[in-house]
Amino acid sequence: MNFLTLAAKNLLRRRGRTLLTFLGVAIAITVLVSLLSLNSGYEKELNKEVNSLGVHILAVPKGCPYEAASLVMHGGVIPDYLSAFDLENISNIKGIDLATPMLMHQFIGKDAMSGEDVPYVVFGIKIDETKRLKSWWKVEGRYFDDNETGVMLVGRSLAEEQNYSIGTVMLSGPFKNFTIVGILEQTGDQDDQFHFVSLAEAQRVFNKKNKITTIAVKVKDVGKIAAVSEQLEKIPDIQVVTMTQIMGTIMNLAGSARSLLLTVIAIALIISAFGIINTLLMSVNERTREFGMMKAIGASGMDIAKIVLTETIFLTFIGGIIGTLVAIVGSNLIEGFVKGMLPYSPKGSFVSLSPELVVFALVFSVILGFLCGLYPAFKSSRLTPMEAIRSGAD
Amino acid sequence: MSEIIEAKNLTKIYRRGREEIYALKDVDFLVNNGEFVSIIGPSGSGKTVLLNVLGCLDTPTKGSLRLNGIETSGLKEKDLVRLRQDNIGFVFQQFYLIPTLTARENIELPLLFSRKNGNRSRIDEILERVDLGNRSEHLPGQLSGGEMQRVAIGRALINDPEIILADEPTGNLDSGTSKKIFDLFRELNNHGLTLVVVTHSPELARQAHKMYTLSDGQIVRCEDLACRRFKYTLHIL
Ligand SMILES: Nc1ncnc2c1ncn2[C@@H]1O[C@H](COP(=O)(O)OP(=O)(O)OP(=O)(O)O)[C@@H](O)[C@H]1O
Ligand SMILES: [Mg+2]
Repeated sequence: MNFLTLAAKNLLRRRGRTLLTFLGVAIAITVLVSLLSLNSGYEKELNKEVNSLGVHILAVPKGCPYEAASLVMHGGVIPDYLSAFDLENISNIKGIDLATPMLMHQFIGKDAMSGEDVPYVVFGIKIDETKRLKSWWKVEGRYFDDNETGVMLVGRSLAEEQNYSIGTVMLSGPFKNFTIVGILEQTGDQDDQFHFVSLAEAQRVFNKKNKITTIAVKVKDVGKIAAVSEQLEKIPDIQVVTMTQIMGTIMNLAGSARSLLLTVIAIALIISAFGIINTLLMSVNERTREFGMMKAIGASGMDIAKIVLTETIFLTFIGGIIGTLVAIVGSNLIEGFVKGMLPYSPKGSFVSLSPELVVFALVFSVILGFLCGLYPAFKSSRLTPMEAIRSGAD
Repeated sequence: MSEIIEAKNLTKIYRRGREEIYALKDVDFLVNNGEFVSIIGPSGSGKTVLLNVLGCLDTPTKGSLRLNGIETSGLKEKDLVRLRQDNIGFVFQQFYLIPTLTARENIELPLLFSRKNGNRSRIDEILERVDLGNRSEHLPGQLSGGEMQRVAIGRALINDPEIILADEPTGNLDSGTSKKIFDLFRELNNHGLTLVVVTHSPELARQAHKMYTLSDGQIVRCEDLACRRFKYTLHIL
């Protein structure tokens, strides 16, 4: 016999109570693990995405700037348009290195694999300016010229999925008969999924003469982003979104979401801790006489404290294991749920359940047990055997 | 014969507000090695307090106590724990068995605290001695009162103590079962164990070598029953 079997057997004495305590701990640990895993994954994905943009400021039609930013990053239809006039106004602002117009549009095309109609995103761009903006772009084949017609560039992943190669001619859709002259090398961001044609071609194909959806701005001095965007904001019709702003706001939103999460975690843990302490005190009070007896038959105060602590840690450790398992199984479920609630969610899965987090959760559950058991253990170890036996006397 | 318990002028005062309760008043209590001593007295006379002080579960307000030649006053808690482990086995009226442990495991329990390792045969031997050989895997709830008390006695024996202190060990048992417990005590005593037993039953108390009577915290009578029995035998002869 040892302290562990003694603890385990004692926990079996009140099965119902033990089960409830297990459950309390398990729920707390589940909440802890899944929320922490979401949190760290979310930040990682978000940073990756915003950093890969290469654009300092976006000018978009008035509307929700975050929606617009998300559309620009992921592709989609911006429902309103800016004009060449806006572009001119912007270009005149001091401190701007480059302001390039883009027309982003969606179209439906056939997927090479399934043969089904799926939405694609195409960007009409000024090639030289875009190359300056996205200095990391490399191309297999060649870029098009701004005044060239019937040619396009595609992203690497898109090319692989659709079996495009240099020289492929599109067979259907709005870009029927367009030839692919270049495939971008893997960028690791959304550009891998897009089609690119010259701005003029995009305006012609979609019948949006002189219209643009976005003006991407690069400033000369990154430190002046705020000043430049202030100037930009004076132009009517347009909405200015700086990338730092987006990042900051999303981070802020994520931050408040996170403090909410942490509050939830803290509350769950505190409730569970009080539950555990309460259960322990109950169980310890019930056994005052038993502890007195144990002292009479040779137990020291330390032994009694050890019995109580072993029980608690056993309790929370098992609870922690159950909670972690539930979190592993349930985190994808929770991700879907949380994604719906967040103001902006990165495309990739942001559950990152690292081994470190699992170890942390288990260590944490042991610490939780230790902390919760401390007072009850101290209390029962201090009893003199005599007091203990008398206090329970019938 | 050497004195294994040597208590002098034991006084225990409890305070209840202003009032001072003398649970023990100048008690001298000597027990020789191998003796079987019983204590009787009315309820509230201080029997339990005396036993607890003798077992170092409680400290006297005044007086001295030597156990097995060791002066106990001034000992640290740690040393008291050791002293209890090495010298004293306790038996209580309410048995105080752990309900989730089998008879065998209950008997084993003190080894967990004394860090001695009890091999199986030692525990089997104890089980035989308290006549529980065929009940070893039963839980306390599956045992009769007499059997539970025998488990408790086995538990008191496992650390091989010099002295057994029993506080009304038959208080919860019927008279037939009580007799059997006292038979067991006598047998243990015959093997050299020193016994101090508190009881309410004068009849059982008379089985001891010496019978002390306690009243209001004082020893009011000490009968040397062995001597009397000896005299009685002489008389018959
Ligand atoms: N911890 C304590 N605090 C206050 N008074 C106490 C305490 N322990 C014992 N007493 C008092 O000391 C006296 C002796 O009590 P004790 O328990 O020794 O009696 P007893 O002879 O064992 O009685 P019983 O036969 O009913 O068990 C009683 O008056 C009791 O109230
Ligand atoms: Mg008593």
